[in-house]
Amino acid sequence: MGKDTSDVIIIGGGVAGLSTAMQLAKRGVSVTVLEREQISNGSTGRAAGLLGQLRGTAEHTRMLMDGVEIVKGLEAKVGVEIYVQTGSVRVAETPDRSQEITDLVEMGRSINFDIAHIAIDELAERMPYMHTDDITDACWCPTDGHLQPAELAAAYHKVGRDHGARYQTNCPVTGVLLDGNKALGVQTPNGDFRAPIIVNAAGPWSHLVAGLTGTTLPTAALGHIYLTTQPHPDHPVNRLSPGFRNRHHRIYGRPENGGLLVGIYAEDCSEHDMSILPPDFDMSAMKARRDDIHLAMLIHAAQQRFPWIDERTPMHITTGIMTFTPDGLPFCGQLPDYEGLYYCTGFSGHGIVQSPAIGLIMSELILDGNSTYDIASIEADRYWDVPGFQDRAEIQQRCYTMQGSYYGRVEGKTAAENQNGT
Amino acid sequence: MKILVPCKRVPDPDQKLCLNADATDIDASALTFILNPFDAIAVEEALRIRETAHPEAEIIAVSIAPAEGEADLRTALAMGADRALLIEHEGSMDPWNVARLLAAVIQNEQPSLVLMGKQAVDDDANQVGQFLAAQLGWPQATFASQIKFTDNGIRIHRETDLGIEIIHVVLPAVITADLRLNEPRYASLPGILKAKKKPTEHITPTELGIELEPRIRLLGMELVNSQRTCEKVTTATDLLIKLREADVIEG
Repeated sequence: MGKDTSDVIIIGGGVAGLSTAMQLAKRGVSVTVLEREQISNGSTGRAAGLLGQLRGTAEHTRMLMDGVEIVKGLEAKVGVEIYVQTGSVRVAETPDRSQEITDLVEMGRSINFDIAHIAIDELAERMPYMHTDDITDACWCPTDGHLQPAELAAAYHKVGRDHGARYQTNCPVTGVLLDGNKALGVQTPNGDFRAPIIVNAAGPWSHLVAGLTGTTLPTAALGHIYLTTQPHPDHPVNRLSPGFRNRHHRIYGRPENGGLLVGIYAEDCSEHDMSILPPDFDMSAMKARRDDIHLAMLIHAAQQRFPWIDERTPMHITTGIMTFTPDGLPFCGQLPDYEGLYYCTGFSGHGIVQSPAIGLIMSELILDGNSTYDIASIEADRYWDVPGFQDRAEIQQRCYTMQGSYYGRVEGKTAAENQNGT
Repeated sequence: MKILVPCKRVPDPDQKLCLNADATDIDASALTFILNPFDAIAVEEALRIRETAHPEAEIIAVSIAPAEGEADLRTALAMGADRALLIEHEGSMDPWNVARLLAAVIQNEQPSLVLMGKQAVDDDANQVGQFLAAQLGWPQATFASQIKFTDNGIRIHRETDLGIEIIHVVLPAVITADLRLNEPRYASLPGILKAKKKPTEHITPTELGIELEPRIRLLGMELVNSQRTCEKVTTATDLLIKLREADVIEG
């Protein structure tokens, strides 16, 4: 097979594309990953890297539990410790939120996920740097943890390369070659690349890539922000301190280098038009203004749970762009009406944690035509031709609302149904 | 006590720059601007003075910029400055005239301390603080990395290539901030909300009684060429040959 011809082309060198490439290469398929800039320099490189396994449905939780096992398997292959198993807590401070925790513990147990209520005393002991006086209930998931997304991406990359996958960086896709409705390849400034199967794993750029074939992909590029404090002399955070989620204040976090990482899913977020960003846009160079309103909201929320954090705290700010969908779930699988075009995108702030299982699922869908997982909720065609999901402004609004409802409460829904933003 | 903090609006250094069509200046049309990071340090130091030595201090942020530069003055207000003054001006201005405009503001405001960044990160001139002190006939302490109020003035640590120089100045004085003076705060949520109500006065150089007399004319700009030409070699021997050819190693 020629240098520019392969079985599968993957557009996008973030964790979704890299994980898919690795799984395909392991099954002997020739894969070429085309990355517009550098490997894992987009949303992947800006991610906080929490691996919380509990999600709204048993099937999603199973995917994430399997994902942790895949990561552990990767560690053995590359000889580097990637996964930091710290355990994680969720805290509640109102009766409604307490009920959520009780429901979650029940759901987790029903699918053999390791989860239990934890006494407030024990919580305070595990996280002495956290304000716990107003906490009424908490649960503990001992197998949760976190990782450095760049290390996970590097592992996918290495194992993929060892199995023959090829990676072209600085190679933006400018056109998709079709024969009727059949995929033939893609155009780039470095020449054409040919393959009968093309996977759109372009994260926030995905809807623009979909646009190259005149296809509407209902995703939106939304801003996200988290802070990482420097180590505080009076509030040391142990390397193995738990990750946490505090839905009431809309914050999550984990230990990082002796300091604390805290991120937020606020009701409001910044919106990004990827089509007007310069071609050499580099997400890793994004910075928040000193008076950024979303940063101020984050600091304010973090302070409620960690009173030693305020606007004067020495900290590093990370801003990036996430790819949201109208229901907070990704699009994975083949497009209707086409042959050989696949989506693998829209991870809505959960790309790192989903990537191990998603790579597997994508390889199954591409090579076997079906998956060992129930993928009904993440199918690529669920909004295909559905009125209300075709117009960009409307899509943008729906995705924006979805982001805002993360960590929010939706009346009439059970806690489990309400667990998208975990 | 009144503290005046000159705040320059600079292009965010983390973006790619382009020249305008005739290469006489940076093309500012698509740029995003921020408060000069050294000036943010000066704002922070003024806030700390108000939080410790002089709770009664009034902090005034001053900028010379087009009208839209008000957004970057708001950064200083959101951090905690009390009010802002925008001297409206389009285009670049040489440091001597910047100092003249600031001196005119200082004649009106009569602050006892001017705290400003040691330089702006766009043109790196590092001249305005010095010119301003000279024009006012005030003592100056540049590159400050620590300042402490004394009974009759301020004790300053200056970062020099020889080491930390410790000096004392009486007020009024001009102090320019070095990187290690402090780590500036972010704006708090109440800070941002309050900033919207704080007064920002717009004024022109003419209203200040200053006729600009440019001493320096910008002839043109060239972008620094950071393009590297890469070549792949296949063996260590080839690499050594290349390095010798390039005079990187001897032999």
